[in-house]
Amino acid sequence: MNGQSDDKSSGVGLSGLGTKPLSRIRPWIQAAFLAVWLPPVGRWLHGIPGCVFHCYSCPLSSFACPVGVAANYAALWPAAHEVPYILIGVILITGAVGGSLVCGWACPFGFLQDFLSKINRRKLQIPSWTGHLRYVMLIGLVLALPLFFGARGVPFEEQPVSVCRLCPAGALESGLPHSLQSIAQGGPWLMGWQKIVLLTVFLGAAVVIHRPWCRLLCPLGGLLALFNRFSLFHLRFRAEKCVECNLCRSRCSMGVKVDQQLNAPNCIRCLECVKCGAIEAAFALPAEKQDSYTSAQKP
Amino acid sequence: MTRKISQPPINPGTRPTEQRDFWTGGVLTIVGLLVLIAGLRHLTGVETLDGSSAWETQLVKAFSTGGLRYAEAAAAALPPLPDNPADAVATLDRARKSSTERPHAIGRVRVDLGASTPCPT
Repeated sequence: MNGQSDDKSSGVGLSGLGTKPLSRIRPWIQAAFLAVWLPPVGRWLHGIPGCVFHCYSCPLSSFACPVGVAANYAALWPAAHEVPYILIGVILITGAVGGSLVCGWACPFGFLQDFLSKINRRKLQIPSWTGHLRYVMLIGLVLALPLFFGARGVPFEEQPVSVCRLCPAGALESGLPHSLQSIAQGGPWLMGWQKIVLLTVFLGAAVVIHRPWCRLLCPLGGLLALFNRFSLFHLRFRAEKCVECNLCRSRCSMGVKVDQQLNAPNCIRCLECVKCGAIEAAFALPAEKQDSYTSAQKP
Repeated sequence: MTRKISQPPINPGTRPTEQRDFWTGGVLTIVGLLVLIAGLRHLTGVETLDGSSAWETQLVKAFSTGGLRYAEAAAAALPPLPDNPADAVATLDRARKSSTERPHAIGRVRVDLGASTPCPT
């Protein structure tokens, strides 16, 4: 991490992040974060929603799933008008500080998909507009549907359709281990066939599409991505260093048109694009005055 | 994973730097911190089984442990019954119909702090 950048731009430029070891250390940092989300003691902080997508019914989960908590609050709203202050606080802090940075560096489900994507290097390309499906998921399945059933007196866990029933992370991290545990104890297989099909489809998709859940359906990623335009941590462009090599866009595995917009909603901030040198990770600080010129006006 | 993508020539000089100031993100962070602290100290309107108000952390934990208990609305306090038996029957019918339409009335949810269902759904 270098110190202050030498131009007049605000914040600290993290130009040291653009070096080659970055892409090598990201999997290790993702793996290290598993120690936060999957501590052996498990469940000890379930009263606090986490900032990543991880099922709270996983036998090893430490925090509550923010998506599950949001859906539960929506279902509970008709019966008790409670506002999820902790969840809102966690999302605001996470988003305002780093935007979708946690998606690329801390999320265990993203880490799993990164791992699966290495099986097959030829990937299906999907149009970027499909990222809007995440907001359909957020508004429809996480908020509106639980509210609809909740208004009819159906508790969240009894609702016939819910985000938890359709969640591949729930199938993988909760359904599978609990079913295996049940069989080991002489009990029945617990996970329904729908979840098995769902999990199979997801695993298959993760091999041929890079991070299909993150790109298409993750409501948490979609929500955090809204902060990419405001977050303290951000990417910025250094026109004087650009040699039009197109490496930034070529390295982006999320299909972001990096040559047009850096802090795009589809970006998971894996920071692969900073390798070209013209794109720089930066952290906004209050000390310096913001200069509003574009690169075209630079001397 | 690098693959060369063909695209129109880019003009670095016309691209915005996308640099930003501190204040939007900074203020949102501070607001988030305050909301988080408020949430940690927030006593909800939902009661626990022993009758005390549940902390927000207890309510969130109840989501993941199947700890929400919905009382049957039929067990709710009945409206005062009139002396006339025919009117009393009509009143009871209305109460029963109302409870069928909305079985979990406001205030009927309680938090079971000892719940430990591994996977509520």
